[in-house]
Amino acid sequence: MHNLSMAFKNLKNNFSFYALYLLSVSFVITIFFAFTSFSMNTVMLEKISNDGRVETMCNTISVFLMAFVVFYMSYSNRFFLRRRTKELGIYALLGYRKSTILSLLITENLLTCSGAFIAGILLGGFFHKGIVFGITKLLDLAVNNSEIHFFNPNAIMKTACFIFAVVIVLALSNSRFLFKSSLMDLVRYEKSAEKKMKFHAVPAVIGFFAVISGYCLALDILRGTKSLWLTIGFYPVAMLTFTLVLSGTVLFIASFLPFSVQAGKKNKRKFYTETKIITAPGFIYRIHSNSRTLIMLTLLSAATLTVSSVMALSLYYPIAAVSRMAPSEIECRIENESEITAIQQIINKYSSDTDVTFLQTDIYKVTSSAGQLPMEYGIGTSKGDADNEKILRDAGFECIPYSNYIALLEAQGRQKVLEQLTALNDNECILVKYQPAPNDDETGNIYPLLIGNNEIPVTVTAVTLNNPISFANSVGTLIISDDLYHTIAEQAVPAAKILSINGKSIEDNEALFQALSEFLSGSPYLQGNSHRKHEIFSLNSSTFLLLGFLVVLFFIASGSILYFNNVSAITDSKSDYNILWKMGYTDRKIKKIIKKQTAAFYSIPFLFGLADCIFATLVYKSALMQNILENSLGLYAPAMAAIMLTFIIYLVYYHLTVHTCCKAVLTK
Amino acid sequence: MPTLLEAKEVTKIYAKAQHPSLNKVSFSVSKSEFIAIMGASGSGKTTLLNVLSTIDTPTSGSITIDGVNIKNLTNSGAADFRRDKLGFIFQEYLLLDSLTIFENIAVPLTLQKLPPKKIENMVRSLAEAFGIDSQLNKYPNELSGGQRQRASALRAIVKRPSILFADEPTGALDSNSATDLLNTLKESNEALSTTILMVTHDAYAASFADRILIFKDGRIIRELFKQNDDRRIFYESIAREVAKLDTER
Repeated sequence: MHNLSMAFKNLKNNFSFYALYLLSVSFVITIFFAFTSFSMNTVMLEKISNDGRVETMCNTISVFLMAFVVFYMSYSNRFFLRRRTKELGIYALLGYRKSTILSLLITENLLTCSGAFIAGILLGGFFHKGIVFGITKLLDLAVNNSEIHFFNPNAIMKTACFIFAVVIVLALSNSRFLFKSSLMDLVRYEKSAEKKMKFHAVPAVIGFFAVISGYCLALDILRGTKSLWLTIGFYPVAMLTFTLVLSGTVLFIASFLPFSVQAGKKNKRKFYTETKIITAPGFIYRIHSNSRTLIMLTLLSAATLTVSSVMALSLYYPIAAVSRMAPSEIECRIENESEITAIQQIINKYSSDTDVTFLQTDIYKVTSSAGQLPMEYGIGTSKGDADNEKILRDAGFECIPYSNYIALLEAQGRQKVLEQLTALNDNECILVKYQPAPNDDETGNIYPLLIGNNEIPVTVTAVTLNNPISFANSVGTLIISDDLYHTIAEQAVPAAKILSINGKSIEDNEALFQALSEFLSGSPYLQGNSHRKHEIFSLNSSTFLLLGFLVVLFFIASGSILYFNNVSAITDSKSDYNILWKMGYTDRKIKKIIKKQTAAFYSIPFLFGLADCIFATLVYKSALMQNILENSLGLYAPAMAAIMLTFIIYLVYYHLTVHTCCKAVLTK
Repeated sequence: MPTLLEAKEVTKIYAKAQHPSLNKVSFSVSKSEFIAIMGASGSGKTTLLNVLSTIDTPTSGSITIDGVNIKNLTNSGAADFRRDKLGFIFQEYLLLDSLTIFENIAVPLTLQKLPPKKIENMVRSLAEAFGIDSQLNKYPNELSGGQRQRASALRAIVKRPSILFADEPTGALDSNSATDLLNTLKESNEALSTTILMVTHDAYAASFADRILIFKDGRIIRELFKQNDDRRIFYESIAREVAKLDTER
């Protein structure tokens, strides 16, 4: 029979066997093609990148993506080769030369990859268009869609060349396997028995303690200034934590898990049950030969979960923090009254609605003679490395009247904050904190304010994170009673005059913001709530999108590898389930055993990945993100959503695996 | 001895087959009886074993084991029936590779939800009685074929089944191992009163039984009784019968 027709027949007869392979490779090519099309989309790149940053990221991610596609396809190819070794042995017994068998395998791979390539290009075209549409809408970009082709010929060419290169890599790998194996190896390959598992307590204990130490070290970051991360240094401790968790994961999976399951067999009451007596030894037996795959999947899963969780947090946190960075829709400093009229005229050009409110707040800077002053009092008074520290600030409290505070909160629509407020006496104040300080409650502190030649003490009745003015315009804000404020105003000149503009009709109006920016000659004191959000999206969306490609690919690959691995192990043991059935195990009980066996192999990478992700996110959030929001579970909601999404994807793969295994095993 | 198994007019016709695999087979087995079923390949021996053991269902006829008409059993009912009443030994041993010999023998007892202490005692005392106590902590691939088949036999008899079905149990064994296994079966039959129904090609293996049913084309064509004969004499009469059968083909 001709090789091509034989390859066709093989694929046709084993379609259900190859369907998932074809599907997953198609998905992988879809992602690859969409990514390549995007990285070659000059129209989009011009819009979202003006410093070459996106192009550099595209090139870097492209390397990862290619390496990953090669790895994934090699793994899948190896899996199918193993399943077909006996069949290949029979070809050899019938007199086929190894070179003929190899050409049959190459033909099959070419056919499969061609099918997946066509599907991938079609789906990838749609996917690419979807991404372009999403970004255009999200960033409100003016893009002429007709300029962006559905199929980019260069991207098709690059994808085709890459897939062809992968087929050559697979052919080389297959030829190495075929020419290294003897005829006997081929025929008896599937029957090769596992070697007896040895249990070593030392690596098991080391693995366990390495993982626990790694996690404890990560938790140490919560000790704040006393933490080793700050006393020793971030990078040495990060490296140590990473090494401990990595080496611990390897030893935990390869030694600790089988060791503990073996030890668990001594608990006879639990072990001598109809499912446990099958699943516990089966787990040890399988982990012996699959620990490397499982370790690789665990690390992959940890990376995927951490990247997606950190990504979600990195996007969500700055957006949540905009309520503090720019509490008013628009806010700026004014030098003279005529500027207000000019600003009002500009706003009237962009909004005819009457809901716009203009509130002017004069800030008075007051010094204090207190021995211990809050951190905000002296913030920004010395030169640091950050860009915003170019202009040095004079130390002092920046006082605003209580009535203005109320009016600003009302204009900003912060009703909940208003409900919690109580009126201030002349000797009382509210201190606006820059960062939350749960361990350092300043309520009750008395700060003598130097007003003219007098010293008037004020007691802090509350500290708040609900600043009414952006930090660009006021730090160390002290809300004082209106009477006290007037006393100060009589004896000093305002340090700054702030105009806060609010109203629904001017929200999300980037053109208005640009017009104001132009009018104020690009003043750094011009702040805008919607503008800041828009800026965050513009700056980060391309990064997230590109990382998103990798995350999706990781999901497909890790899920498919787990699927193949479990289906292979369980269908190879079909005769074992047949024995159990003959012994009196019902189909339901066998299904329960299959579920437990599969769940064990899905839960190890997921739970390990989850633990790694939680600790890594904690370190990231504590050490690498500026903390200006109150700590609440709500902040972790996007990270939890990312974890939940991963869980759902794993769950879908798990059910798919159980379904396939049960179908293979329980079919009489 | 009271009747344990009764097969009446049992017929099995597979789809697309030209002839029935079992053609109105009727026979009965008494408690503690050791029966061998012989016949050429395709004569219906294994089909009969499958049908009797609820692995397959007959096209017509009735089978009663220990007072239960197995044709009326549901899927889960059949599973419970196999769990409580039947034991199996196969030519390929079919031990679970990931379990030790001890665990392999213990599986049917865990299925019966016996307390761990009782399971341990039952497995150990049986293994001791049949001389494989030193192998209990080993894995199947560490044992010889004969040892594996002996473990497989103990797994089948440990739960004291009403009836033990053995499908060519000596087929993959050398002569010494085969004799050891047959002695184990005979011992179990005599000491534990285990009823055994064994399918075999081998006249020597069949000579350990009390009665032989010889099958041809899905029917029982002859029945041989051991009576008070010496096993050697019985073996010779079986061998003659098999030779006659071969010439009649």
